[in-house]
Parts: sequence; C-alpha cells; structure tokens
Amino acid sequence: MIIPSTLQKAIDELSKLPSIGRKSAQRLALHILKSELLEVQNLSKSILELKENTQICKNCFNISENEICDICKSEKRDKSIICVVEEISDVIAIEKTNEFNGLYHVLGGVLSPLSGKDADSLNLKELIARVKLENSTEVILALNPDTEGETTSLYIGRLLKTFNVKVSRLARGLPIGGDLEFADDATIGRAMLSRIQL
Amino acid sequence: MIINKIDLKNFRLHKETKINFSKHLNYIVGGNGQGKTSLLESIYYLCTSKNLTQSKDLEVVSFSELYFNVVGNFSDLVNNNVRIFFNKEENKKSIFIDEKNIGRASTLIGNFPVVTLIPSNHLITQGAPSDRRKYFDSVISQASSTYLKILLDYNRTLKQRSSLLNQIKESKSKKLFDELNVWTESLVNQGSEIIEHRIKFLKIFQDYFQNSYKKIMDVLEIPTIEYSFLNNSVESNIKKAFVDELKKCESLEIVRGSNLVGPHKDDFIFNLNENELKKYGSQGQHKTFLIALRFGEFFYLKNIIGRTPIFLMDDIFGELDAFRANKISEYLKEIGQAFITLTDLSNFDYLANGNEDLIINIKNGQIINA
Repeated sequence: MIIPSTLQKAIDELSKLPSIGRKSAQRLALHILKSELLEVQNLSKSILELKENTQICKNCFNISENEICDICKSEKRDKSIICVVEEISDVIAIEKTNEFNGLYHVLGGVLSPLSGKDADSLNLKELIARVKLENSTEVILALNPDTEGETTSLYIGRLLKTFNVKVSRLARGLPIGGDLEFADDATIGRAMLSRIQL
Repeated sequence: MIINKIDLKNFRLHKETKINFSKHLNYIVGGNGQGKTSLLESIYYLCTSKNLTQSKDLEVVSFSELYFNVVGNFSDLVNNNVRIFFNKEENKKSIFIDEKNIGRASTLIGNFPVVTLIPSNHLITQGAPSDRRKYFDSVISQASSTYLKILLDYNRTLKQRSSLLNQIKESKSKKLFDELNVWTESLVNQGSEIIEHRIKFLKIFQDYFQNSYKKIMDVLEIPTIEYSFLNNSVESNIKKAFVDELKKCESLEIVRGSNLVGPHKDDFIFNLNENELKKYGSQGQHKTFLIALRFGEFFYLKNIIGRTPIFLMDDIFGELDAFRANKISEYLKEIGQAFITLTDLSNFDYLANGNEDLIINIKNGQIINA
C-alpha cells in the first residue's frame, strides 16, 4: 500500500481524536484535502486559537478566555450557589439548559483509587476556599450517577458538613419527553425508589 | 415458549443439521462425542447469544470452516426467527431477530428464557460459596435488571475500595482514611441493597423450590435454603449490621488490602431436614437438590417473566435411580418443552415417552432419524 506520507500523517493525527476511527480519519483527511484553502486555514486557525487563546478559570476551573471566566464575572449570576461538576463538558451540558443561574466548580475528575485519583488531585481545596469566601448558601453536586460519582458526592458532603451551607445532589429519574415504556428497567426502578410526593 | 425447529451450519460436528422438534420432550440419543451436547449448546446460543459451557465462540466453529450459523424458530404469542451468526475471521457475533440485527445481547435476555441443567452445575451444591452466589445472582438478575445494575456498581466499589486499602497499607496517610470512609459508605449502601434483594428473592423462591422438591421426591424430606449474610448476622437493620461487622475487621482489611465484609462473602446454605446438605448429603441427595433448584428456577422465571422457559438437560439421568428419573421425566412433561441428552435409550425404558415426544438419534453430527 502506497499513500503519500503527508496524507498518512494527517490521517494518523486525526485518528487520535476521540470517537474517530481509522476510516473516519481517512474520510476527514480526504475531505480537508478537497476543501478550499481558505476553509482549511480557518479550520486550522480555530484549532490553534482554541489552545492559544484559552486558559483555565482561576476561580472555577472552567474554560475561559481570561483569568476569570465569563460566568464567574457575570453580574447576573447568583454567586451564592455553586454547582460542582466533574469536567468542563458538564458545564456546557448544564449551561445549555438555561435552568441554572449560579456559578460552577469543575473538579477535574472524581475519586478513583484504581486510576490513582485521590482527593488531593481534585480541585477540592479550592472549592472549600470558595464556599468560605463567597458565603455560598448552596452547593449542588452534579456528578455522574455512577459509583465513583456517588462516592465523591458523599466525600464532598462530608467536607462541607462543618459549613453553614445546603448541599444537594441531582435527582435520578426518568428522561423528560421519553415514553415510560422505552426507558430501561434500571432507570424506571430507580425512579420508582426516589419518587416524590405531589 | 416453544422452539419449533433449528437449522445449524458449521456448528461443531454439525456441518448441516436441520431438526423439527416436539413441543414436549425431546430425547437426544447418541454415543460420546457424537454432537448431543452441541444441540443443547446451539439452543442456548439462540436464547442468550452466549455459550453454554463457557467455550469460546471460535471453538464452536467446525474445523476448517470460517463461520457458524444457527437459526431457530420460536413460537410464543407470535413466531420469531432468531439467528446467531459468528464470523471467525472478524471474531464477530451478530444476533438477528426476524432478520433484524439487534446489536446488543441484552435485548435477547429475558425474551427467550432458558433453564439448564448440565454436569458442571454440581458446583452449585458441592462447590464454594462463590458458586452459589453466582447461581443466585444470575437467577435474580434474569428477573430484575435493577438488581443486575446494583451488582455491577457494587463490584466496581469493591475494586476501588480494595485498591484504596492497598494504598493505605503502603502509606498510612490520614487523608486516605477520609476517602476510605466514603468508599465504605458506598459499599454499605450498595451492599445492603443487594442483601435486601436477596432476602426478598429467597422468600418468594423458597416456595417454588420446595414444591419442586416434593414433586420429584415424594418423601417427607424438607429442604430449605437459608441465606447467610454478613457473617451469620441476625440483625434486622442490615446497614447497622454491615457497619458493625466492618468495624470489627477494620485493621485486618488494611493488613490484607482487601474487602472482608459484604454480600460478596455471603453464602446460601442448603439444608435437608435441618441437616446441612454439604456436610451430610449423599450424592443422590445433592443431585435431587440441584434438580429441584433448577425446576424452582423454571417456575419462578415463568411467573416473573411471564413466559415459559425451555428446559435443557445434559446427561443427568445416568446418576439417578429409575424411580427418580421417571418422576423427573413425568414432571418435565407437565411443564412444557424440554431437551434431554442420553447415551443409550434402551437403558432408560422407565422414562416418560409419549406419542408426542421425540427421539432424535444422532451419530457423528448427523441425525439418523427424527
């Protein structure tokens, strides 16, 4: 098999991306090859800028263009509520809902002894400092509902016990707009257990 | 649920085998290594997409062939064609229902319930506690996917916690103890749910099991299953008992670097007239107990899932006396469709064999008459 090495290199780089396999990488590379030069320049520029012009917010560890991110800076946000999430992608997911008007705190992972993640490797000290400094009234734990997420929630709950702050966790239950009959059994079972009174 | 016919291609010795089954008893008769168990194995594949004896899919493909293909026609309320296709080169298994590729195997499970009785099952009564937990976990999981979910979470917590215990063994840092406390809390939460599920299950299952035992034994022996959890705890508050037991083992857990308390250490005790089967039971009693467990499972699943399972029995009449074997075959007849392998039918003239039952003679992967 003979493929120009420039093309091969592009395919190899693209296939390093998450959820891109060899075939998709090849399709993307060939697509880029066929595109207008300006298009390609824009693409590569935007990728570079993503890395060069962004940093991690010093306050909440979200992605930001400045030292402090737009959410932390905003006058319109309720600064007394902090929503704790695992990764930056979770901030995006919650922001999309427009249902939350407080601030975030990105932990950068969850407790997982198996993968060497301990409490010190998470942005926990910073969270405690913020709760003190910002006089928070509520901390919402929005971690994934798996074993590691649940355990980390328990851990944070214990850390915050000494502060006069309400700690809550996201509810588990049925997806909105879905038919009950199509939800998987475990989800329905969970929703049944954590039902709420009307 | 009934399987009407099956069509095998390149499945172990079966290069090309087509059989129409009876709705009642199907005796599969042949010498050793002629392809009897493979027939049961193929039915099991159709019901679960998994291997009956934990062989690899690769090993099931006939020598020098590249794939196997199994098609079965099931009827319950409606007719379904199930097809399992395995490609050796890609090491890939595809599952089709009515020629629609269904992707995940979990769609199959529960829809085509099957109960098996195979020689390696003797471990359930004679083996270690882990063999019994594995058996009951699989029965409960078939009926409750919530249970399966908690079980998977719990196993994950066990792994995380033992990794942390090992880290503490190395470093003894105070910080890690704080982390251990929350992993312990998760362990107790999930573990207690498992224990409660098992207690609830056993309350229901006990009746099914005892009824089956009565049917095949006809004597006054009373068998019971007892669930022993958290080192024989009798505490009604499970979470509290769990925490208490953990406290007792606190330092030992760190020394050993492993989880010493929880439902992963529990056992199910089998008794006959209040004597422990494992200590006092004869071979025959073990066998009868096991068969009653499987029949109990059959009726339990039938009621909970609402479909009648197919019964697969491999080589079990050899070790039973004529009276019991006859009872079992009569019992099987009552309940629906069953597949039974035998080496030589002439030795088993006491087995139930009605007009609608079928005898399948098999030699070197070929059906001689059916």
